[in-house]
Parts: sequence; structure tokens; C-alpha cells
Amino acid sequence: MAFVQNFPFFCIILTLFGGPLSSILSGKAAKYVNGGIISAVGAMNVAVLAFVLRTGESYTYMMGHFPAPWGNEIRIGVLEAVMAVVFCIIMLLSMLGGIREREQHIEDSKQNLYYIMVNLLLSSLIALIYTNDLFTAYVFVEINTISACGLIMIRQNGRTIVAGTRYMIMSLLGSGMLLLGISFLYGLTGQLLMSNIKESVEGIVAAGTYYRPLLVAIGLMSVGLAIKSALFPFHAWLPDAYGYSTVSSAAILSSLVSKGYIFLLVKIFYRVIGFDIIRNSRIIHVLFVFGILGMIMGSVDAIRQNSIRRMIAYSSVAQIGYIYMGFGLGTTVGVVASLYHVISHAATKSLLFVAGSGLTEVSDGSTRFLDLTGAGYRHKLAGIAFTVGSLAMVGIPIFSGFISKLLFAQAAVGHHYKTLPTLIALAISTILNTVYFMKTVIRLYTPEKAAVIREKNFCTIHAWQEPVKSAALICFIIVNVILGLRSETIILMIERGLQMFG
Amino acid sequence: MSVVILLAILLPMVVGMALLLVLAAKKEKDAQPTTEELKRLHITVAAVLVATAALGLAAAWLGSGDEGVTLFYLMKDIPVYFRIDELGKLYVTFISIVWVMVGMYSFVYMSHEGKEQRFFGYYLIVYGVLIALSFSGNIVTLYLFYELMTLATVPLVLHNGSREAIMAALKYLFYSMCGAYMGLFGIFFLYRYCDTLEFVPGGSLNMSLAQGHGTILLIAVFLMILGFGVKGGMLPMHAWLPTAHPVAPSPASAVLSGIIVKSGVLATIRVVFFMVGADFIRGTWVQTAWMTLTLITVFMGSLLAFREKVFKKRLAYSTVSQASYILFGLSVLQPQAMTGALLHTVFHAFIKTALFLTAGVFIFKCHKTRVEELPGIGRMMPKTLWCFTFASLALVGIPPASGFISKWYLAQGALQAKVGVYGWMGPVVLLASALLTAGYLLSVTTKGFFPGEAAQESYEDKEPSMGMLLPLIILAALTLLLGIFPNPLIGFAGRIASSVM
Repeated sequence: MAFVQNFPFFCIILTLFGGPLSSILSGKAAKYVNGGIISAVGAMNVAVLAFVLRTGESYTYMMGHFPAPWGNEIRIGVLEAVMAVVFCIIMLLSMLGGIREREQHIEDSKQNLYYIMVNLLLSSLIALIYTNDLFTAYVFVEINTISACGLIMIRQNGRTIVAGTRYMIMSLLGSGMLLLGISFLYGLTGQLLMSNIKESVEGIVAAGTYYRPLLVAIGLMSVGLAIKSALFPFHAWLPDAYGYSTVSSAAILSSLVSKGYIFLLVKIFYRVIGFDIIRNSRIIHVLFVFGILGMIMGSVDAIRQNSIRRMIAYSSVAQIGYIYMGFGLGTTVGVVASLYHVISHAATKSLLFVAGSGLTEVSDGSTRFLDLTGAGYRHKLAGIAFTVGSLAMVGIPIFSGFISKLLFAQAAVGHHYKTLPTLIALAISTILNTVYFMKTVIRLYTPEKAAVIREKNFCTIHAWQEPVKSAALICFIIVNVILGLRSETIILMIERGLQMFG
Repeated sequence: MSVVILLAILLPMVVGMALLLVLAAKKEKDAQPTTEELKRLHITVAAVLVATAALGLAAAWLGSGDEGVTLFYLMKDIPVYFRIDELGKLYVTFISIVWVMVGMYSFVYMSHEGKEQRFFGYYLIVYGVLIALSFSGNIVTLYLFYELMTLATVPLVLHNGSREAIMAALKYLFYSMCGAYMGLFGIFFLYRYCDTLEFVPGGSLNMSLAQGHGTILLIAVFLMILGFGVKGGMLPMHAWLPTAHPVAPSPASAVLSGIIVKSGVLATIRVVFFMVGADFIRGTWVQTAWMTLTLITVFMGSLLAFREKVFKKRLAYSTVSQASYILFGLSVLQPQAMTGALLHTVFHAFIKTALFLTAGVFIFKCHKTRVEELPGIGRMMPKTLWCFTFASLALVGIPPASGFISKWYLAQGALQAKVGVYGWMGPVVLLASALLTAGYLLSVTTKGFFPGEAAQESYEDKEPSMGMLLPLIILAALTLLLGIFPNPLIGFAGRIASSVM
């Protein structure tokens, strides 16, 4: 066994212990430790990715060398490694981009609490990505929920407490349904290890005896994860949670936390149940319909917002809708498109949140559109970054969003009866996207009168005054352009990863 | 040859970006550059313009014909792919002529607008993008560069940085994007129902696949026509033209009207004749609606131009009307009318550029922007006004100037096509609009030379320097010469038209 193969396990343990370690450190030290851990985990995952690409097959790793029913297993393939790398990059950039806001928004005594939560969150994300055991997945889903709640509530004002509570209730409802589903499945198959469940499920379907309970289990798990990843109409918790928390929380929550659950769902589809059974069940139609509704309703809601943060948050609802629509097509091409969109949306949405915070900063902390007039001139880099993010969201070629739209369209036209609804929904949603993102860009570059700027206490920030945030923004832009131009490599990796997945 | 294509595309883009980067790295951005620096800038830009034009034309005309070059794969089986065909050759040729001429003119003109380096940076980038657009070998490449063109021309529109200019640029951006999305929506459909995304003369629609999906395909094609028609200034989304043109610096409005509007035409031709195929929409409601829209636009544009008092806005409305002449010629779906449309594309590029350059001279020399201020202008700058007059005559369509030829073919084509009432209504509207054109353009000439009561005792000589006059004279001469010796061009356009129908 190569030494690299241990890395996924190291990642989980390192981040897991990073949490308690941060609790005894000062806020500042915890910050550096956290940054170091994320970078180290990212680097290790790059090595793992290189390894699995070279060997061309996935491998299982037994914790402590105990075989299955007693021991715990993780399984590593190309897709898992790609996701882990992307998550680490995005998380690092989001943390860097929000440093200044964190220091303002969070009380000094609670600074290190934030880093505990982030470490735990990363740990649970990595574990969700790699685990091969359904119950372990559930445990880390809970850790994920708790730490995400912490990230929301750490900025102490009334709104975040309400938002955090709401998030907690909805999210626990989701976890409850997931747990129910898992117990059903356990009852049916007597297994918790994913590959073992799959064998038994095939038997059940072939025998035809317990098909209906199986459907119920799949339904419960899908709906539970859908609630947790804010699929329309379960998105009510999202705008407040993303809209009022501190910026790096919002970026991480929108681009990583919900994506972790989505990845788990893909895993359940492919590795636990088997995609053929999922395709033949009617559950994907439900996901498809709600995905499409989400694409449109999320955008409609986004248009109606008058705060930039809430607008970006609602746009997430629409983008999550895209992803579920891709699943709903029930084809591998559709899932590839969805997974690509997971990555491209993660990169773009966190960029938008960080850029948006730069823009509100020069507008006296206000997120209202009216106050953002001309903010693109007051913080030039944030303005450019926001424009790039918007262009990526509306799908201009050379940025990431265009490729996902093209992939979705490609997946849709291959389908024999879902083509039309998908394409029409794509078109409507794109136009709506254009309306609210371009409206914002126009607002950002509409010159504001000098008198108003003085009266409202607006300031100007140059890129070199906030070197860390500027660097993060520039990296985000580069990531977006790379995703837009060199998508072929990533798509290829996703496809290979999915093949290994089953 | 493939290297030459890529060089022609990349050289101006790279140099343009380098100019912008150098500017961004500069400490004092607003400082007026010294004469020495300006001279260096002008020499660089001129050298790149000439080199690119030479490369572009060499790629177009010296190659052995069907050659393609794949730059890279955007996605599996969707390459960014360039290929040279007859239509691309035609486009690159007239774009290059106009671009070099306007570039030359800008060396003098931009001295009064300032921020030259920024202007020329974007000017070069757009040139590269346009060459790429003309040589695009499949619809996704075309779409990619179509959007890039929009993004790169926005800074040209908002050049002077005034609030008005910025709002106009954003309006332009918004209109263009909405249009492009309608196009993109259609592309998704064509992806499924066409055999290939590459451009095939006559279209590559797979009839057996399209069976039973006729209605939705027609809707998609109509949306594409509408969407790409935004750039072509077709009703109902023409409003960006009269807003964007007056605020942009004159060379920028010249190329916006002369060239950028034509890119919308290019995209429409590519979709209708190289992807869907003319036969698919012939006789359907799409053709009827398209013809109706273009005819209304032709007439309404002329009417608005006639009433408009701001000179550049008048020219912009005139572009709205004239671009729809071209689109009408296409919508008839008849080879002769399409020949006329292609001819008019070339002629109008030269004519409208010349007209906007004249408007620029008026602004540069006398700060006159409104039509009422122009009487007597011919006494001050007779040569300029003569150029204006020749170009106007060509636009009105008085033989032997070039516009006559294209309109003749348009009318002939419309009369021969089996399009019912539109067959005679088209020519009638075209004629009526030509009369209005004469009214709004030639009145400037007559007042300019014969100011009547407004005459002053003496006029000082305000003729512009050779740097501005020469491009103007060359363009005006081209509009005449192409009318006197049109045969090679007619033959060429005719071949394109007959190859697709």
C-alpha cells in the first residue's frame, strides 16, 4: 500500500483534531492553524487525486485494518478526490476573503470558536466525501449541521439567531428523514456498508418482495438531503442564513455545505442503491419537477430583493434547482452536468459573496441596492470581481457558468421527453438571471453624485489596502476563468470518477 | 495557413491587452501623455493594424480554400474552431478596410477625447475578436466571440466616462445580452436537431429528427432571429442604437454602425442559411413575421431619422433603417435578394463609416452636434462635405453610386420571390424609405453649401488635416467606385447566395 493512500484518513483526523486544538489557542493563532490545516488538507488531496488518476481505479481503506461489519471503511476514487480538492480551495479562498469582516463581526473572545467550527465543518465535509459507510455519513451530516449552525450564529445579532434557529429546525428535520431512510434500509438489508447494501438491494429488487419499502427509504433519504441542501420549496431557511451571517460563513455555507449533502445524495444514488434502480423509480421525476420550479422561483425571488446579499442567497436556490434538475434527467450525462455545476457554482457563489462584501464595505455597510450605486468605482477590484461572477452566473462564454449551461442543455437534448421542459426552464431562468445580475452590475457602475457620497459616509478602498482579500478575489476570478476555458479536463475527471463510483 | 489565421486573431488582442496592462500599471493614469509617448503609441497601433489587416487578408485570400484550425476544445466535441469560407472572406475584407481607415482617422480625432491608450487598446482587441467572429467555423465559436465583442465594445461606448455615456453603455450591454441569450436558447435546440454545429451551406438540419417538432423549432429559430437582430437594430430591440451612438467617440460610433451592427447580420446569416437552412422557414409564419418586422423597421427608422435633430442620432436611426434593408433581403429567402443584402452589408459599412467620420469632423473642428448648426458648413470645409454628399448619394441609392446596385438587387429579389403581398410591398417601402433618406441626408448638404439667410459674410477655412481627410476621401471614393465597377463583388456575393439556396 502506497503511503499516499493514507492521506484521506489523515485529512479527516487532522481536521477533526484541529477543532479541539483551536479551542485552547488564541483567536489569532487559531486563524493561522486553521489556514495551515486547510492548505495541508488541500495539498494532501491533490496528492491523492494524482495517485488515483495514475492507478486509474478506486481503492478502499479500512480504518485500523478491521474488516467491514466491525471496522469502518472509506473509499477513494477520482470523483471524491476532485471534490475534496475543490472544497479545500474554495474554503481557503472564502476564509481569506472574509478575514476583515470576521474580525469586525465576531467578538474577540469568540474568535477561536469560529475556527473550531470551520475545522469541524471541513472534517465532516471530507468525511462525507470519502466515507463508504452509511451510518458514518449520518454522523458527519450531524456534525456538519451543528458546525454550520455555529457559523451562522457566531455573528451575534437578533437576525442571525433567528436565522440559525430556523436553519437548525429545518436541517434537523432533514437529518431526521435521512436517519429514517437509513434505518429503513438497514432493516431491509441488514447492512450499513455502502457496497454491501447495494448487493442486497439488487437482490430485493430482483425478488420484488420489499420494493415499496425500498422506495420509501430512497424517498426519505432524497427528501431529507434535499431539505438540507435547500431545494425549492424547502429553501425558507436559506436567505436569512446566508443573508445575515458573516461573509465567509455565507460563502462556505452556500458553496460547500449544501454541496456536501448533494454529493452524499449522488453517492446514495450510485453506490448505495444503484443508478438503474433510481432511474426506474419515480423519485427522480419529483426531483426534476422541484428542480425546475426552484430554478424559476429562486430567480423570481432574487429579482424582488432589495439587498444584494439576499439576492445572491436567493440565486443559490435557483442554482441548486439546476443541480437537482440534472439529477432528475436520470442520465449519467445529467449527473455529470450537475456535478460540474456543483463545482462551478461553488466557485462563483463564494466569489459573489466575497465581492459583495467588498462592495457593501465601501457603502457604509449597507447591502441595499440604492446605497450600492457607483460602488464599483469605490472598490474597483470588488466591482470587477462581482461583474465576473455575474457574467459567469448568467453564462457568458469563457466563464464557468456557460459550460454548465451547455452541459445541462446537452444532457437535456439527449433525453426523449424531458428535453423541452428543461430547455424552456433553462431559457427562462437564464433571462431572469440576466435581469437581476445585470441590474446589479448596472447599479454598481451608475455614477453616484459626490454630495451623496459625502453625506452617506461612503469611502473608497483600493485593492492594495486589503491585500489578503484582493488576493482571494483574484484567485477566485482565475479559478472561474480556468473552469470556463479548461473545463474538458474536469469533465473528463468527473466522468471517470462516476465510472469508478458504482 | 492555420498559423496565419491564429496570428491575425491573436496579434491585435495581445497587443491591445498589453496596452491596457501598461496603462493599468502606470501610476498617474490621468496624466496627459507627452507628444513623444503619443507618437510611440500611434506607431505601435498603426503597425499592428496594418500587420493584422495584412495577416487577415492573407489568411482569407491566399489560402487554398477550405481550411480549418481548431484552437482548443471548449468541451468534448465542441471545439473553438475557425474555418475560412466565402462569407468570412467577404467580412474580413470589408472589416479590415474600415478598421484601418477608422484607426488612421482616430489618431487625429482622439486627441480631443483623450485617454488614447485605453481607446486604442480596446480598439485593437475588438479587431481581433471581429476577425475571429468572421472566421468562426461553428455556432459555439461564433457565440463565444459574439459575446466577447459585446464586452470589448462597451468600453468604447463609455469612453468619455460621463454619466450619460455609462448609462448608454449599460443599456447597450443589457440589450446585447438579452439578444444573445435568445440566440443561445436556439443554439441548444440546434445542437439536438442539426447534424453538426459546424456551418454547412444550406443548413444541416436533420429532417428525420425534426419531424414532429416543427413548431418548437420554428419558435427557436424565430427567437434566434430576434436575438441576433438586436445587434442588427431590428425592431423591437433597436433602442440601444440611438442611445449608444451619440455618446461614443465618433470613430467608435462609426465602427459600431459600420461593423458591429453587421455582426448581428453575420450571425443571422449563419443561423438561417448555414444551420437551419432556408427551406425550413420558407413560407412559415417565421418568415412572414421576420419580413414584417424588418419592413416596419426600415420605414420607422427612416422616419425617426428624418425627425431627429441631433446629427449623430440621426445617423444612428438611419443605421436602424439601413440594417433592416439587409435583414429584409435575407428574410425574403431568395438568392437575388440575398445577393442584394450582402452587397448592402459591404456598401453600408463603407457609407455609414464615412458619414460618422464626417460627423466626427464637425464635432472635432467646430463642436457642432446638431443639424440646425450645420448651415454653411460646406463653405468652411468643402472637401469634407463633398465626401459626405457622395456617401449620402450612395446611401439614397442614386446611380451610379453603390447603394443603387444593392437596392436594385433587393427589389428584384423581393419581386421574384413567392412571398405574396410582401413581393411588391417590400420594394415600395424601400423606395419610400429611400426618399426619406434623401430628405434627411441631402438637406444637410444643400444647407451646408447654400446656407441662404443664415449665410455669413466670410467663412474661415476649417478643413481638417490630411490624417482625418484621407480616410474619409478613400471611403467616399470606395462607395462610388464600387457602384461603377460592381461586377466582381456582385459575382462574389451571388456565389455565396447561390451556394446556400
